[in-house]
Amino acid sequence: MILAAGGINNSIVVVVLASAIVYGTPLLYAALGELLTERSGVLNLGVEGMMLVGAVMGFWAVQRTGSLVLAIVVAAVAGAAMALIHAFLVVTLRANQIVSGLALTIFAGAAGLSSYLGNDLNLADQPARQSFGSVLPQSWRTVNVAGPILFDQSELVYASWLCVALVAVYLNRTRFGLNLRAVGESPAAADAMGINVAAYRYAHTLAGGAFAGIGGACFSLAITPQWVDGLTAGSGWIAIALVIFAFWRPTLCLVGAYFFGAFSGIPFTFQARGILSGIPPELFQALPYVMTIVVLVLVSTAGARRHLGAPAALGTPYVREER
Amino acid sequence: MIRVERRLTQPKWLMFAVPIGSVVVAFGVMTLVLLVTHHSPGHTFLRLFETAFVGRQSLNATFVSATPLLFTGLCAAIAFRMQIFNIGGEGQLYMGAILGAAAGIAVGNHSGWVSIPAMIAAGAVGGAAFALIPAILRAFLSTNEIITSLMLNYVGALVINYLIFDSQSYWRDTSSPTAKVFPQGKSLPAAASWPVAHVGALVLPFGLIAGAVIAVVIWVLYTRTRFGFEVQVIGDSPRAASYAGMRTRRKILAVMALSGAVAGIGGASQDGDFRHTLDPRGLTSAGYGYAGIVIAALARYNPFAVCLVAFLLGGVQNAGYALQGADFPSGLVGVMQGLILFCALGGELLIRYRVRFARGTRTSEAVA
Amino acid sequence: MVAAVELRAITKRFPGVVANDRVDFEAAEGEVHALLGENGAGKSTLSNILTGLYRPDDGEILIRGAPVSFHAPRDALDAGICMVHQHFRLVPPFTVAENVILGDHRGEGKKLMVHPRRIERQVAELGERYRIAVDPRARIWQLSLGEQQRVEILKALYREARILILDEPTAVLTPQEASSLFETLRVMADEGRTIIFISHKLHEVKAVSDRVTVLRAGKNVDTVSTKDATLRSLAALMVGREVAMANRVERETGTGEPVLEVRDLWGAGDRGGDALRGVSLTVHCGEIVAIAGVAGNGQRELAETVTGMRSASRGDVAVDGRRLRSGDAREAIRAGVAHVPEDRLHTGVAPSLSIAANIVLKSYRGSENANGPLLKLRAIREHAARLIHRYDVRGGSPELPARQLSGGNLQKVVLAREFHGAPRVLVVASPTRGLDVAAIETVHRYLREAAASGVGVLLISEDLDEILALADRIAVIYEGVIVGERDAGEATVEEIGLLMAGGQSE
Repeated sequence: MILAAGGINNSIVVVVLASAIVYGTPLLYAALGELLTERSGVLNLGVEGMMLVGAVMGFWAVQRTGSLVLAIVVAAVAGAAMALIHAFLVVTLRANQIVSGLALTIFAGAAGLSSYLGNDLNLADQPARQSFGSVLPQSWRTVNVAGPILFDQSELVYASWLCVALVAVYLNRTRFGLNLRAVGESPAAADAMGINVAAYRYAHTLAGGAFAGIGGACFSLAITPQWVDGLTAGSGWIAIALVIFAFWRPTLCLVGAYFFGAFSGIPFTFQARGILSGIPPELFQALPYVMTIVVLVLVSTAGARRHLGAPAALGTPYVREER
Repeated sequence: MIRVERRLTQPKWLMFAVPIGSVVVAFGVMTLVLLVTHHSPGHTFLRLFETAFVGRQSLNATFVSATPLLFTGLCAAIAFRMQIFNIGGEGQLYMGAILGAAAGIAVGNHSGWVSIPAMIAAGAVGGAAFALIPAILRAFLSTNEIITSLMLNYVGALVINYLIFDSQSYWRDTSSPTAKVFPQGKSLPAAASWPVAHVGALVLPFGLIAGAVIAVVIWVLYTRTRFGFEVQVIGDSPRAASYAGMRTRRKILAVMALSGAVAGIGGASQDGDFRHTLDPRGLTSAGYGYAGIVIAALARYNPFAVCLVAFLLGGVQNAGYALQGADFPSGLVGVMQGLILFCALGGELLIRYRVRFARGTRTSEAVA
Repeated sequence: MVAAVELRAITKRFPGVVANDRVDFEAAEGEVHALLGENGAGKSTLSNILTGLYRPDDGEILIRGAPVSFHAPRDALDAGICMVHQHFRLVPPFTVAENVILGDHRGEGKKLMVHPRRIERQVAELGERYRIAVDPRARIWQLSLGEQQRVEILKALYREARILILDEPTAVLTPQEASSLFETLRVMADEGRTIIFISHKLHEVKAVSDRVTVLRAGKNVDTVSTKDATLRSLAALMVGREVAMANRVERETGTGEPVLEVRDLWGAGDRGGDALRGVSLTVHCGEIVAIAGVAGNGQRELAETVTGMRSASRGDVAVDGRRLRSGDAREAIRAGVAHVPEDRLHTGVAPSLSIAANIVLKSYRGSENANGPLLKLRAIREHAARLIHRYDVRGGSPELPARQLSGGNLQKVVLAREFHGAPRVLVVASPTRGLDVAAIETVHRYLREAAASGVGVLLISEDLDEILALADRIAVIYEGVIVGERDAGEATVEEIGLLMAGGQSE
């Protein structure tokens, strides 16, 4: 499809940008979800596991029913089910959020439930019955520059843009968003004002799981599209990094996701074209991680923390003061 | 009506009952999972138990699996004790393996008396140096060490891949014809192979013994010395530590370096004890670092308990590899580790809080 | 007339303590009703039950004669009950208007979308009317504690609360600000609202309330009409025995050598900007110098900078004429600076560690407690047992985690440790906050003894009564500057209060 357009549409910049959107989309979904979770004060390090379970269950659903819509719904529900374990442990039982999130990744991850399910449902090495592909008419897709980058994408990409807008409006303009931010910043204040802290934390941890499930399904239903053990290859961790990179803001998540997505795609594109063959692909692959560390250092300076920083109550359980 | 109250005192017996209870509950849930997916729980668990712990061969294989877990478990326990969440045991182990292998290749022609200490030292330096990155950021710029150490795991994996797959590095085997097609690391010289101890029919890897010695040293360090006292105070209340004039920054650096060094020795042990080469695939797919956090949490950061838990989970992991196939579904090991950890985390609540089941006695409700 | 709010036989237990034991309470519309009691008497628990934060184990709540059951704070808010907590329940990065609308689910807050502009106008109007104006667009972290309290009251007014509970509201105010608050409360009561005013300060209760209910050790003792009560009778009800009113205990005033000298000290605060802007003061041997001021004017930064927990950006601190290295707590300890910090549970001790560990928190390196790098565990335990006995730490044993001690006994552990180090200077911050009368007397006695033995004491407190009872000299801090210094003998509350509000004198 890219070759058909030829000319400028085959230029390295266009190809890299187009692949940035493809590879960035699962990151975007997962990061939006983690953003909602973290804004409620819950840190969920189990994104990778939730993505994988979403991916395997989404793929199972499409093989059973042939319906992509249903597959996305199943992926979201599966992701949310995984998040429920985390929510129960950290909100109700006040467990350590870091250990619980890691436990979730081990439980659901590449050597855990997702692999078990994939094996048990015999999903490996099957071709997908349906997968997401370009939805816009051919004439759009061949438009110079914008065609391959913006118009040659699947519904998942366009839906992700809608999700970014919805999450941004939800957070900054609605009553629920205001309450959510209060729960993440100062649960005691929110509690005193009649906001149910536990309910908000549960709801947004589950929402985070659902988004992560959809993010995983982006791999098994669009990018790959099939089921392979551990097919998300660490995207869940990048998504966690992305939330920090985006200063907990949905619109910056969009930019960051494509930025990180570009680095995932660049090694393949460059290798295929023999460009910059002297630079090891690992260098590009390491950039998202290194840049996240750099950004983290920048936001942890005292001045930046107040304006850009993490929700103040992130990672701490809320208990009404005890005697 | 369920009420959760803080315990005034934490009974001693609960400290043992809760981890054991968690394992029991986890096996209960596991049974359900197996039944739902039409596997026979009895058969699976029996095979698991046999392959992990029954007989000489099983035990010897379990020792092999437990060795890296012992190191990464200690790595996590050392740092978590001070409330420094070093998630980077994975990457620190890779770095230890890289430098350990370099030392092995370099001095392997000498006797074991030279090469083994050299490898251990190199591994410790590699792990400590890698752990010092998040440590310095945390100590001087108060950057959260959880995310930075986590990110460095991926950087570490990419470094080790680069050395073998995408470069003509010192570690890569470029001599043999197969190695040109399928990149692999150089084999370590024979003198760089670590010895084993025979106890009856059992074969204990040198690394396992070294790990146990380290566990004892850490226990003494943390319970009997000024250093350990400071670690306890900082872990409990950093403000109290700074109030008492303790040098918190230095302690963060020291504890992270120690934690990383132990993981790094674990990496060197992978080279010297088992793999005898720098093996990127094997190391990066095993997930020793993450399993180490599970172990430390289950052991409640007690070094001796880490030894025990590492042995048990090592058995599970060993059985998982050995049995992979029809009657032992893949992914079972992860599911089981995850479940045990979930239960242990939930059980933590029982140690800190008392859960009471009370009838609703509030008269206001009855009136309303 | 039916009471606006009535509590009948409320009982609430916490592990190991009955916080409220069949407490009855009743307040009318248009009344300012004080809830008086010592720290730990159960006032806060009772108000938390009334606001739905805690659920009572037994008893019932009636609002205008109708029994109600609060399952969550929201139920209480919907019943028209608002509370201004001692530690404000505000979201620091939010604006005033956002804090006001938070959790509201009627009127403007019922809409899905939030329109801050309209609320800002409403908040500004309320502020004008009740003379508690605050810029509705300001972020909470930019406001002083007094202004933050106004936001809390605006929240209640915005929700048209019928019953407003204030928990120790004057702790963050100057005496003048406090009387202005009392006027606002009176206006609100005259509109038919019920004000429940929680305090342990007798003269405030006397000044503001119509009636007083006294709690003691979780039980209610009596409800009296304020105009029939005297300070002395209220004190007797509160403590359960006749007490000497906080009279000054006269003693030899130290006129020794200067032991602590602070010169032109500058330092950054937690909220950004300079919290200390050129503080200079001197404490002599055997002298108690008090720093008075409204909370948040640099007191904490001063205490922490003098004791080396925090670096100064300029100026210096000298003990016995020797300059200390800034930001080095260990050096300050070696030079003989003892410190009783404000937050005794998380700074003064490591709460989960044993009492023994906390007693050697500063001396664990010394040869009596350590042998090279190894600790002498037995010597430490024996030393701890001796100090527990000498300082009468009730319920303490060396192995017990410090957090299990009551506030007063915890403070004894801190004092035992600090005095044992044979200090030259003692920096004490809010040493009696949250303690009961008996414990307050003990702490005051120890401080006087320390001064008598030649130690220079720097007392930092927001409690003017305490300062007037103890100090030889009073320095008033306002926005990081010492705005005035008086000998205790010639100082009056009015004058000190004026200085605390930043008013210039001389």
